[in-house]
Amino acid sequence: MAQFFQKGANNIARITMIMGVVVAGLAFFAYTQFSRSSYITGQYVELQQPVQFSHRHHVGDDGIDCRYCHTTVETTASAGMPPTQTCMNCHSEIWADSPYLEPVRASFRENKPIEWERVHDLPEYAYFNHSIHVAKGVGCSTCHGEIDNMAAVSQENTLQMEWCLSCHREPEKFIRPKSEIYNMQWQDNDITAEERLKLKEDYRIRSRDMLTSCSICHR
Amino acid sequence: MSRNRIQTHGHGDAEMRAVLSPYHGVTVSRRRASHWLLIAVICVMAAGCGVRFDMEDQPRYETYQKSDGIFSDGRASRTPPDGTVARGHLNEDKAFYTGKIDNPDLNAQVESTTDASGNTLVTSFPNAIDEFPLPVTRELIDRGEERYNIYCIVCHGPVGAGDGMIVRRGFSQPPTYHDDRLRNAPVGHFFDVITNGWGRMNGYAASIPAADRWAIVAYIRTLQVSQNPDQALKMNTNTQANTQASPAVEEKPAANTNTSGGATQ
Ligand code: HEC
Ligand code: HEC
Ligand code: HEC
Ligand code: HEC
Ligand code: HEC
Ligand code: HEC
Repeated sequence: MAQFFQKGANNIARITMIMGVVVAGLAFFAYTQFSRSSYITGQYVELQQPVQFSHRHHVGDDGIDCRYCHTTVETTASAGMPPTQTCMNCHSEIWADSPYLEPVRASFRENKPIEWERVHDLPEYAYFNHSIHVAKGVGCSTCHGEIDNMAAVSQENTLQMEWCLSCHREPEKFIRPKSEIYNMQWQDNDITAEERLKLKEDYRIRSRDMLTSCSICHR
Repeated sequence: MSRNRIQTHGHGDAEMRAVLSPYHGVTVSRRRASHWLLIAVICVMAAGCGVRFDMEDQPRYETYQKSDGIFSDGRASRTPPDGTVARGHLNEDKAFYTGKIDNPDLNAQVESTTDASGNTLVTSFPNAIDEFPLPVTRELIDRGEERYNIYCIVCHGPVGAGDGMIVRRGFSQPPTYHDDRLRNAPVGHFFDVITNGWGRMNGYAASIPAADRWAIVAYIRTLQVSQNPDQALKMNTNTQANTQASPAVEEKPAANTNTSGGATQ
């Protein structure tokens, strides 16, 4: 039987093997990039909402506190969404004829909730709780960005596990005094690293091992 | 690896198989079949993981999730029928939960005056209690300051003059807290206004728990004194206050750290 493989086939085999590794590596890299892309995570994506509600107007210009609308953020897992009644506290008189607010008035008349599009949405196997973060000095803007500047809310962070863990490993890099939780302009280095370490002690934040234990978020 | 070894290896393999198969044919083909089965199962499982989202989206309703087709209004839970009392919410302590005296006279006549712009202002509050139904402490006033700055400041302004941001944007101007009518109004009246609303102002019972409403009332009293230092501070507490008030008081989160501002006595 004649030699089926010529001498050159060895090189082809080698190149194929190397290429195989390179392509697999590239594919894996592409996969990691893809799974972190805003297409998958929803980061920075603005959604079409039923009412063009603007945090920039209400928080930035009018100075309404987050808790006026997100009333349960200090006490429960969910931050709480304002019922239509809350909008009507002001819009019974302000812009009472504006067509932009017709869905709000319709909701009030018909006693039907406004259906907002969820912007932040963790998978249901992950447990998140607002009250503990607020109580332990993690401000809204650390996770949500400068909401007071957003005409439409978009996700500032990926909300992926690696993002949660980057803080749970060293929360002392991100915490602030409780009086500044609702300050959207706060920067992490507004206080020194020592002050933040002191805060971590005051808040009695648990060890890195406990905060990265799987059962904290997957319960 | 030399060229020979690769080839030998290839041929050798085939030869081995050719040699072994007469004896172990059945075992090998079964083993081979089971390998294929394993690979197939892994493929199916992998494909399954890719297209199924039942861990991401579990068959239960999360907070605010829409119920598909169960209830016509789209909500996933029902509003309890009127008059339903949840466990631990009997709210027997009338003074604490309504700011009213024990047997309010619903037909009591109220006095009123007319202000410069023709609005009718109620000046007597026969059914409102005149004493705080809980002890007034520094913590309560600080808590009240924080809550006032969340819920009331937008209309009533930082010291209660009625010049908040939303009023500047066109909302009706509320009366100032610093006239004789409201200075002399009993604390129960303020509580009632926050709970049920008053005129063009909506009630805030849904957003503010009763204990916090009392904290706000205590802070408004403090503001009134801060703007009129000659006034006697009327912070008398009903010492006979029903002790059932205390669980609700404990509901409030720990006192805040923000102690700046006019909360001095
Ligand atoms: C006047 C009421 C009001 C105030 C005040 C307010 N919000 Fe909102 N917020 C809303 C409404 C209504 C929505 C839903 C519409 C949307 O997503 O834009 C919302 C949505 C959000 C979302 C996105 C929720 C999602 O779908 O994932 C975040 C985050 C948020 N608010 C944070 C804040 C923060 C932080 C503050 C304080 C700086 C604040 N809000 C103040 C009414 C308010
Ligand atoms: C505390 C008072 C207050 C509350 C509560 C409030 N708004 Fe407003 N809203 C305002 C004011 C004031 C403006 C005018 C904005 C400006 O010009 O700064 C406004 C403007 C708007 C506009 C028109 C924006 C534009 O410029 O066209 C929309 C839409 C709106 N609000 C929606 C809502 C919704 C939805 C809610 C309930 C979640 C709500 N608002 C709750 C005070 C309020
Ligand atoms: C540690 C990060 C973190 C902080 C701090 C934080 N949030 Fe959130 N927020 C989230 C995540 C994650 C979600 C999505 C939750 C989900 O999908 O279940 C979310 C969701 C929300 C929502 C949508 C409703 C809900 O609860 O699902 C609102 C409104 C909101 N946040 C407001 C706030 C406000 C106001 C503050 C500041 C008091 C705040 N958040 C602080 C991470 C954070
Ligand atoms: C910027 C910092 C930060 C980020 C980001 C963050 N966390 Fe936390 N988290 C904390 C701190 C601080 C605590 C309080 C720890 C303590 O009390 O010891 C905490 C506590 C928790 C707890 C409560 C633990 C318990 O034992 O009850 C849960 C659950 C949790 N985080 C989930 C999450 C999830 C899920 C995410 C991502 C979506 C996340 N966190 C992102 C800082 C953060
Ligand atoms: C601080 C909170 C937190 C902790 C601690 C944590 N996780 Fe997660 N995990 C999350 C969140 C949030 C997600 C969802 C991420 C997303 O949406 O892509 C997640 C997703 C996952 C996923 C699914 C990944 C995917 O893309 O399908 C697995 C598997 C997982 N976690 C395993 C673990 C294990 C194992 C541990 C312990 C070593 C752990 N997690 C600890 C928050 C946490
Ligand atoms: C959206 C704007 C707005 C907000 C927010 C608001 N109020 Fe008012 N308030 C008014 C207006 C307008 C009036 C005048 C009502 C009338 O006489 O028709 C008023 C009247 C009052 C009065 C006087 C009642 C009387 O006897 O004349 C008190 C007391 C009061 N408010 C307390 C509060 C407290 C406490 C809060 C916070 C929990 C609050 N208000 C939040 C607009 C507001």
